[in-house]
Amino acid sequence: MTAVEISSVTKTFGSVTAVDNLTLTVPEGSVYGFIGPNGSGKTTTMRMIVNIFYPDSGSIRVLGRQMTSARSENIGYLPEERGLYRSMAVKPLLEFYGELRGGRNVSADVDYWLQRLGLAEWGSRRVESLSKGMTQRVQFIAAVIPAPKLLILDEPFAGLDPVNADLVRDAIMDLRRRGATVILSTHDMRIAETMCDSIFMIFRGKKVLDGTLESIQSEYGNDTIRVSLEGGAAAVEELPGVEEIRDLGQVQELRISRECDTQEVLRMLMERTRIDSFAVTKPALHDIFVRIAGAPDSRAAHV
Amino acid sequence: MFNLPRRALLIAKRDYLTSVGTKTFLFGLVIFPLTFGGGVAAVVLIKARPDLRDRHVALIDRSGKLADFAMQAVAARNAAEMYETKTGLQVSPLYVIEPVAPELGDPNSQRLALSDRVRRGELFGFIEVGDAGDAASVYTNAGAIDKFKAWVTGAINDAVKMERLTESGIERSRAPAMLAAVMVDDLDLVTRDARTGAIREPVKRDKVAAMVVPISAMLLLLMIAMMGSVPMLSAVTEDKSQRIAEMLLGIATPHELMMGKVMAGVAHSLTASILYVAVGTVALIGFQVAGLAPVSLLPWFYVYLVAEVTMLCALSAALGAACNTPQEAQNLVMVVLAPVLIPVLVMLLVINEPNGPLATAMSLFPPFTPLLMMMRQTMPGGVPPWQPLVGLAGILLWVAAGVWAASRIFRVAILMQGQPPRLADLARWAVRG
Repeated sequence: MTAVEISSVTKTFGSVTAVDNLTLTVPEGSVYGFIGPNGSGKTTTMRMIVNIFYPDSGSIRVLGRQMTSARSENIGYLPEERGLYRSMAVKPLLEFYGELRGGRNVSADVDYWLQRLGLAEWGSRRVESLSKGMTQRVQFIAAVIPAPKLLILDEPFAGLDPVNADLVRDAIMDLRRRGATVILSTHDMRIAETMCDSIFMIFRGKKVLDGTLESIQSEYGNDTIRVSLEGGAAAVEELPGVEEIRDLGQVQELRISRECDTQEVLRMLMERTRIDSFAVTKPALHDIFVRIAGAPDSRAAHV
Repeated sequence: MFNLPRRALLIAKRDYLTSVGTKTFLFGLVIFPLTFGGGVAAVVLIKARPDLRDRHVALIDRSGKLADFAMQAVAARNAAEMYETKTGLQVSPLYVIEPVAPELGDPNSQRLALSDRVRRGELFGFIEVGDAGDAASVYTNAGAIDKFKAWVTGAINDAVKMERLTESGIERSRAPAMLAAVMVDDLDLVTRDARTGAIREPVKRDKVAAMVVPISAMLLLLMIAMMGSVPMLSAVTEDKSQRIAEMLLGIATPHELMMGKVMAGVAHSLTASILYVAVGTVALIGFQVAGLAPVSLLPWFYVYLVAEVTMLCALSAALGAACNTPQEAQNLVMVVLAPVLIPVLVMLLVINEPNGPLATAMSLFPPFTPLLMMMRQTMPGGVPPWQPLVGLAGILLWVAAGVWAASRIFRVAILMQGQPPRLADLARWAVRG
């Protein structure tokens, strides 16, 4: 079963093509990560799934239904730009959003989530009295009451400290365990790698990555060597077959060309300096992201 | 799964409770009638307490033959108008004429000297009669609506007529009697009692009712409509600028969101109207003038009120969605108020000729129908029965088209950022969506 099925969707704003002929399938019950540089089309895609924007062409099916102008009460949506009625008290505000999304007697749900996200004592306080982190947690709760079948979160961890980020992450994974499909966008590649079953990268409106982390990494092969050398990055300068050196301080990451033999690299390094560690790995998502978004147009079309 | 009216009602409920639960609502309940009623109250107050100080008026008679007649005419007018016949109370000031001999040389020098006396408060004004005695000028700094000029015009004309009568051989003492005015009663049209069939006795037209009731009805409608609709403009802009709108649009359609807001505006106005109608009724009963209230038109009042508020709220919501900041919204307030300000500007024309072609045509033009038709219906004689029905049909079509266009503008504009609203964009969004 698919939760979201996007077929050949294009969306333009004036002369700008925000999403260009996008096709994407999000399986039910999965956590799907949307990554991409700012302005690449992530938010526009999410807004089309929620039906805030209508595609210029193509079609979108959500939870088995063709999207119409009506809203589905089974979708929870946390927009990137957060806003709540500042003069309302937290609990009535959450009950309002819960009822708006078709919930009946949502008070108990609200209490549960306030307790779970450490806001139990703030239910009667006005939103304007909350800190930024608290406000974000309140907004998250507003998106998940009552429990949605599809949860769309645009940058859910932006601005959260590690403790609160863990609270929200646990909540998302819990919702997923209860059967919800989760689509989230993030600029934190570690979150995408650890939380998401599949990752979709959009760049300049076009899909450039789509699949599991393993499949994406496999496409790039074992082209990364992580070494710790006496002499640091200076010891690997102008090493034949090495296309890029990423100096992480104590460790250096070397991206080698497809035809380069890792054993040959090891031999050359041993001739140059003393090696503390040497490991051949697949590229990290961060590295893949930078390769695509930071590369000239020709290399962006790698996938 | 999809439930259209419920979401709009929930949004309306939240917005309504938020708006009527604020101090601003209570403040508006007081300040609106004070603002609108202040002018009427001032007129009533001035009328109730007229300035009865003697008014000294200089008279330069360049013809040399009118001064005596003018003194006689003024004396006659003072005697006739200073005191109310029934009560004997003074209702008009005593006019005292001071004849001034024309000076030789530049007439403007004398005019300036007399003007200075007026500025010093020694005179209320001065009159200058021309050489031939058939033209006169009045100089004063009295207010524009002061009766002074009309009073002087009457007195001078009386003097001229007396002089002409005397010249034609009629005894001077008989002249005032010949010029005595005939009182003309102002009566309503005669009607037949619907129950008994008997012809009713003619009733003296109530000038207060003929003026105050239609103006009050229109202003009350205008005031209550503005209370519900004007705050909408900034409220929608605030939802947009504070990023609340996107969260709501993830749950409700733009149409539902806008309809919820419009319903809240209507509910807001109805709440205010109930309070005002209740307080007004108590006041009318208290002042024993309950008969002035056109109770039979109350259903029409509410029909027009709901139509007016719906129209203004939809327009406010659409324009508010197109604005990025409260300042931009402020600049558009006059656009929202145009449908109510234009009827106010033509109010006196309509009162003067309620069934004339201009009043009829304007009151059948849907944006103006609620205010102008209400006003005309409350005037003595009312309007032909078909006109409110045609007006209502026009309003319904207008409101439906307005809400439809507004919701299309709202949908496009609510998530747009950066660009200030342009009329061409609004028109394009309304047509294309």
